Amino acid sequence: MIFVLEQLGRRTVRAIEEAGYLFALLVEGFFWIICGTFYKQPVRIPSVFAQMMQIGIAAIPIVFVLSFAIGVMLAIQGIHTLKAFGAESQVVVGIAFSVTREFGPLITGILIAGRSGSALAARIGTMQVNQEIDALRVMGINPVRYLIAPALLAMLIMVPTLTFFSDIAGLFGGAVFSGIELGLSFDAYANQSIEVLEVDDIMQGLIKSVVFATIIVMVGVVNGFDVKGGAEGVGRATTRSVVLAISYIVIADMIFTYFLNR
Amino acid sequence: MASTDRSPVLEVRDLVTHYGDTEILHGVNMAVHEGEIMIIMGGSGSGKSTLLRYLLGLGIPTSGNIYILGKDITHLSAMEMHDLRKNMGVAFQGGALLSSMTVGENVQLPLYEHTGLDKKTMQIMARMKLEVVNLGGFENLMPAQLSGGMIKRAAVARAIVMDPKLMFFDEPSAGLDPVVAAELDELILRLRDAMQMTIVVVTHELQSAFKIADRITVLDKGNILMTGTVDEVHASKNERIQSLLNRRPSNEEISADEYMERLTRI
Amino acid sequence: MKINTREEGGYAIIELIGEVDLSCSPAARKQILACLKANRSLLVDLKAVTYIDSSGVASLVEGYQTAKKLNLKFGLIGVSDSAMSVLRLARLDKVFPIHANVKERLREDG
Repeated sequence: MIFVLEQLGRRTVRAIEEAGYLFALLVEGFFWIICGTFYKQPVRIPSVFAQMMQIGIAAIPIVFVLSFAIGVMLAIQGIHTLKAFGAESQVVVGIAFSVTREFGPLITGILIAGRSGSALAARIGTMQVNQEIDALRVMGINPVRYLIAPALLAMLIMVPTLTFFSDIAGLFGGAVFSGIELGLSFDAYANQSIEVLEVDDIMQGLIKSVVFATIIVMVGVVNGFDVKGGAEGVGRATTRSVVLAISYIVIADMIFTYFLNR
Repeated sequence: MASTDRSPVLEVRDLVTHYGDTEILHGVNMAVHEGEIMIIMGGSGSGKSTLLRYLLGLGIPTSGNIYILGKDITHLSAMEMHDLRKNMGVAFQGGALLSSMTVGENVQLPLYEHTGLDKKTMQIMARMKLEVVNLGGFENLMPAQLSGGMIKRAAVARAIVMDPKLMFFDEPSAGLDPVVAAELDELILRLRDAMQMTIVVVTHELQSAFKIADRITVLDKGNILMTGTVDEVHASKNERIQSLLNRRPSNEEISADEYMERLTRI
Repeated sequence: MKINTREEGGYAIIELIGEVDLSCSPAARKQILACLKANRSLLVDLKAVTYIDSSGVASLVEGYQTAKKLNLKFGLIGVSDSAMSVLRLARLDKVFPIHANVKERLREDG
């Protein structure tokens, strides 16, 4: 029993330490984004753009496909459920809210965690193993500024952007299925969606997505820096970062949803 | 070449370091003077890699001081350390070139990050350094397209692109065939003679060590056994040094009980 | 670093004095290129250079190449030992026309 408690205590301490380290890294990342130029060590815009291309532009097709599919599924379930009350046409309201508030940010977050969070962990992990991080440090190039800040900035821009895009794709999916099933015209669907949706609904999703973006970068980075033991270590860190990032995203989503809907 | 009247470029005083709860270096003292090649020699587990990490400012020691170009790097602000690093070059064991960039971009990286020089000037400087290490014409290749020896030489080009006063080499000849290793030795000598660099080489390769050393520091189990010229090291009566020179495992005197205890200990 | 300019034997002469390092080599480069752009053949006098780093040498290389493109004459004079060893390291001592002073250069020009 005491052993278990001790173990628990030790883990808690480690978790708190890790959280502190993570927070410090995050603060340093923002420090370089904001103050880098002042210290003549700016965050390089070209590398931010390169990251934005990788994270964002390349992910557009997959985000579209998944969000569209989610929209269709919501429509199927919604129409099926609402049929019992003879209120099928109300499906538009349900889709509008659940896509913008919930599924848009969530699906985007999970997708980017799997796609770019893992890539970030793998890249930094490989650099750690090859002493490239040490090389940067001895060249007087701060790894947080050089590697983390551009990824952070790119993620903070692209995840909300993709989320917005995902919202539209999801609504479009809903519209297409509703059109087929209920004969609802696209214009009518769009008008009704715009009518029920408020700026707040979309903002709720976007605020979440900013938090998700931060989670993805920090989990990827911390796991990457922590790599020990060659290529195998990189593989472990990559897997770990995806699992952790998705878990944190879902939990954060739940907490947010609870507080934002009170 | 080594004159003791000048103040040392690199000086270590009573350096003690820990890894977890284990003490790795037990009070290391050494000094490297301007324009000399100092070899830090030792077997695996001697603490020489650890010593190098601290010399490079990659760790905070438990106690002791490290002076580089007159500044104590154990008590330096981030900005001061940043400036000091421009005078230090490091060639890592595996080269540590950034794999996402071409060789030329790798060599230009320190210039790009630290100077406001014209693009053309940076390009010429990088190419000149690649010529120095006999890699002229390779600037557009990716590191993955180079051989081990070429990667190490490219790493040297990157390390010297800012014309540092102090240069570190980590195991320069490890993993290279003798011919390529000899080329690298020759390059190290050339850097000292033509650029008046002070050079610290960490290695376990005796042959290359004796060829290029002005002085040698022998490290063993976290202690410095001796510092001296090649001849002085050869003449040393110290058993550990002799066993290191002859590549014999030293026969530590332990009792039969102790031996059995070691084999059966859980 | 200080830069003096003068004229001798049809050449513009840029004399670099003191330490030529990262902080001041851009100024030397600017002067050299400006001179060549003005269509003047150029000699760079290095006799008073106490130290020249590779950014300084890179500027000389760029000057040499620019002169060649513009069909102008370019050379170094009075190269000090320390400067020479830097040139030699990159095998540039064989590339630059190097003379002890302006007179030597003029004699060679004929």
